[in-house]
Amino acid sequence: MKTWQTAFERNRYYDSVFLMAVAHRLSDHEGIEEAVAVMGSPANKNILLDMGVEAASVADASPNDLIIALCGDQEVVAGVLQDIEEWLVRPKTALATSTAVSLDEALSRQSTSNLAVISVPGEYAAAETEAALDRGMNVFLFSDHVSVEDEVALKKKASEQGLIVMGPDCGTALIGGKGIGFANSVRRGTIGVVAASGTGLQEFTCLVHQSGLGISHGLGTGGRDLSNSVGGLSTLAAIDALEEDPETKVIAIVSKPPGEATLRVISERLSQCAKPVVACFLGVSAGPDEQASFEVCGTIDDAVSAALRLAGSQGGEEEVHNHSQLELLARDEAGRMAAGQKYIRGLFAGGTFCYQSQSVLRDAGVALHSNAPLEGVKLLGDTAASAGHSLVDMGADEFTVGTPHPMIDATQRSRRITVEAEDPDVAVLLLDFILGFNSSKDPAGDLGDAISSASRTAEAAGRHLSVVASVCGTDEDPQGLENQMEVLRDVGAHVFASNVKASSFARDIILQRTKGGE
Amino acid sequence: MPRLLDLLREGPISVNLGLVEFAEALEAQAAPVIHVDWTPPPLLDEETKSILDELL
Repeated sequence: MKTWQTAFERNRYYDSVFLMAVAHRLSDHEGIEEAVAVMGSPANKNILLDMGVEAASVADASPNDLIIALCGDQEVVAGVLQDIEEWLVRPKTALATSTAVSLDEALSRQSTSNLAVISVPGEYAAAETEAALDRGMNVFLFSDHVSVEDEVALKKKASEQGLIVMGPDCGTALIGGKGIGFANSVRRGTIGVVAASGTGLQEFTCLVHQSGLGISHGLGTGGRDLSNSVGGLSTLAAIDALEEDPETKVIAIVSKPPGEATLRVISERLSQCAKPVVACFLGVSAGPDEQASFEVCGTIDDAVSAALRLAGSQGGEEEVHNHSQLELLARDEAGRMAAGQKYIRGLFAGGTFCYQSQSVLRDAGVALHSNAPLEGVKLLGDTAASAGHSLVDMGADEFTVGTPHPMIDATQRSRRITVEAEDPDVAVLLLDFILGFNSSKDPAGDLGDAISSASRTAEAAGRHLSVVASVCGTDEDPQGLENQMEVLRDVGAHVFASNVKASSFARDIILQRTKGGE
Repeated sequence: MPRLLDLLREGPISVNLGLVEFAEALEAQAAPVIHVDWTPPPLLDEETKSILDELL
């Protein structure tokens, strides 16, 4: 059993991203095996207790106190804890404008503020959102762990005032060409989007950009908005606004399938919309009413094609590979593999990509496991170990407690790639790479060594491992789309501009290897 | 007119509470933003709370 030593600092607040970076640096220190740096909320204290930290050592910590827990060489740990201040020095912010100490001070300096961007810990998020609504501001609410009751109350309050709450757990918005949260640098245009998922919104807007058209606005709603408990309050507000917005000519909605009652409400609203509408309910190939006056698509790629057509595009650029070329390539890949190689292992940073890939493979009859299974897919019992064909959402809560999300930090995915490459049954590794503001500065480079090393491991054992990757981004993103794709091609990956295309190619290889997907 | 439409028309003029990286990204896109150096409200004991409630 591990022996943990802890220290806590009274009334020292740091945000979770900074603390995860501190923990990461500490765990890289020689003599330290594991490091955790968290605020002393009840949830965080429970996590520490589960890890084996002594209850007495954290019992007195309050949500406003910083807790550092370390295990490893006892002398090294004690020395580090004694000098912990050195580890807590924040890098200088790049902000040109001076910071404010409160929302009201910020508003006194910038009275025209129309949006509060809120990413405080979940237990404080509802109060801050309410304060912003009371001051007449729209809200982008990145924080999660907000109760559904609070979500409904806040959204009703917003609706009464003609405002919107995007979230909770809203990752992305794109308003007037400006990305908020995890968003890409996308050309302005006439297609407006409402999306329940951050990566869904990113993929849709990037594919529109790559086609040569652009986005008027992309409004996030949070993943629960279209559930029956929330009833689509933010989606309806967003549709109303995009319908009135003169820049928007076509409206698209991207979401997992809504709750049944909410689907009826949304369908009715969409059928009365004065502008053409495309609804992408992931994994659903036909709408609730085939006579509906709006189009229903099952994938983001199909929704983008429909939106482009409705916006008057004469068709996108030629595909680099046509279907038959890709089929030949898939057959060639499958032919290079050793007997026994038959499974796909998908390791995703984006939840929507995991979901959509499941849909593509499931519909081809591949018997899948996932930690975030859609209908017809088995639950992966142990998320730390794949079983058969497995698609794993590595941004799910079980992977991100106390560690950064895989869109920011590739450490966990890198380790998992190494593990999968050693499994002689694995034929295909399916990966996603997400560019844009606030993502890793070099997502492809972060995993380049792990991919090369995985290929070498397989080769040394007489196998051929296919690595299939999708990159979500644009040429104007800080990381550069083509540059990132090139890095992946250089390490032998087959690279695609969309998750559906990558998933379809991976599916074709697997079907060759399994003759039916079992 | 809904104030959400003002946001679409004017573009985001933001106040950022929480992760400073979000404010930095907005500033990098030339979008006006003021970052609030947010900290949790102080924890008060019941007696102090009731005194404050009376005063406010």
